[in-house]
Amino acid sequence: MDFRIEVVTKYLPMLLQGMKMTVQLTSIAVTAGTIIGLFISLLRLSRFKPLVWLARAYVDFLRGTPLLVQIFLVHYGLPRLLGTNSISPDISGSIALCINSGAYTAEIFRAGIQSIDRGQMEAARSLGMTYAQAMYYIILPQAFKRCIPPLGNEFIAMLKDSSLVSVIALRELTQSGRIMLTRSFRPIETWLTVALLYLIMTLTISQLVSYLERRFAKDDHGE
Amino acid sequence: MITVNNLVKNFNNLQVLRGISCHIKPQEVVVVIGPSGSGKSTFLRCLNQLETATSGEIIIDGVTITDPKTDLNAVRQEVGMVFQRFNLFPHMTALQNVSLAPMKVRKQSKKEAEDLAMSLLQRVGLEDKAHQYPEKLSGGQQQRVAIARALAMRPKIMLFDEPTSALDPEMVGEVLEVMKNLALEGMTMVIVSHEMGFAREVGDRVFFMDEGLIVEEGKPAQLFYNPQNPRTQAFLSKIL
Repeated sequence: MDFRIEVVTKYLPMLLQGMKMTVQLTSIAVTAGTIIGLFISLLRLSRFKPLVWLARAYVDFLRGTPLLVQIFLVHYGLPRLLGTNSISPDISGSIALCINSGAYTAEIFRAGIQSIDRGQMEAARSLGMTYAQAMYYIILPQAFKRCIPPLGNEFIAMLKDSSLVSVIALRELTQSGRIMLTRSFRPIETWLTVALLYLIMTLTISQLVSYLERRFAKDDHGE
Repeated sequence: MITVNNLVKNFNNLQVLRGISCHIKPQEVVVVIGPSGSGKSTFLRCLNQLETATSGEIIIDGVTITDPKTDLNAVRQEVGMVFQRFNLFPHMTALQNVSLAPMKVRKQSKKEAEDLAMSLLQRVGLEDKAHQYPEKLSGGQQQRVAIARALAMRPKIMLFDEPTSALDPEMVGEVLEVMKNLALEGMTMVIVSHEMGFAREVGDRVFFMDEGLIVEEGKPAQLFYNPQNPRTQAFLSKIL
């Protein structure tokens, strides 16, 4: 097999550009996803039924349909809906990933919040704290710690799934790989390099997550 | 201080409290006993509306807390509660556990709240544990921190839900000691407990509950040594 390293070095700068885009996209998606997810999970746990239904509909729709379809829907559907010209793939791709990540994160937070003993909420309320104060000072800090491992998994999953936005020609890592292929006609060099770059990113994140886990475990003041 | 009129509590189809009425005077210490499932804890939890009453009326210090318009957060500031399983906040030190509510609910400054917390921890004999997290404390110590935490809101009434039931026997004494001092200082207290010795020594009155009703009440000596109701007699013969 002839593996031509000079092909890799020639296109590497372009791939690194794409990799940068992938990191940016994933960071935006996970950050926004965390905020959306926290919000949706609180709706889901509220006492007001219509809010619960709304949260469930959001989560069910986004977890029950393919991300690829959601990307098409945002990219081609949203401009029609708003009556504007087409949206740049950077924008529509980010939006699609954010709302998708929000749904998965919402379930992570819901599970985390529900895993906290009921007595914690009762103790906080018995001291005269409002529901919001009890959530903020007592429940969420404990729940969040338990959410770190699944959030790390979600981060990694989102990083890999972000490759799907290449279908709307957003120049992240996978799309950069496609461009490299059409110019070099070297599939092995191209996709192996792309795969390796993804691997570097996912391994970095999982290291980071296990570090965070250890740090929090160290000052984990038991259950 | 506390007036309860015909309190009823249903959980779905199950009637747990079937019309409780009583009156508790300021500075009175009432001990509630009864078999498990008799509704003792539910009754106590209705007194700060951790359980919403199905019907009936509870008046605390002139405020009808069963009225849906009542600000329950304000009422709960006046009614402290101590739980069987302590329910300390595990992510906070003893000092933080005690000072949180004064800061966030009473809006005291950090300094003020921590001074108060420190003096309360001293009162329960745990000033040297102020910076420990709950997991490093024994059950008895945790429960004493929990009592300090409730006292930090300067409540007018303290509710105790089986405060010593989850403790190893050798730790029961230290918690009862703290409660006894509290009673001597004139705190109005309602205590669900099976510590008969404590009830006799500290209690002003004992309620015997069975099947969602207060079946018999009286002074400890009278209720323990000369129970009138056959159900009270049967229960006491089993536990004494």
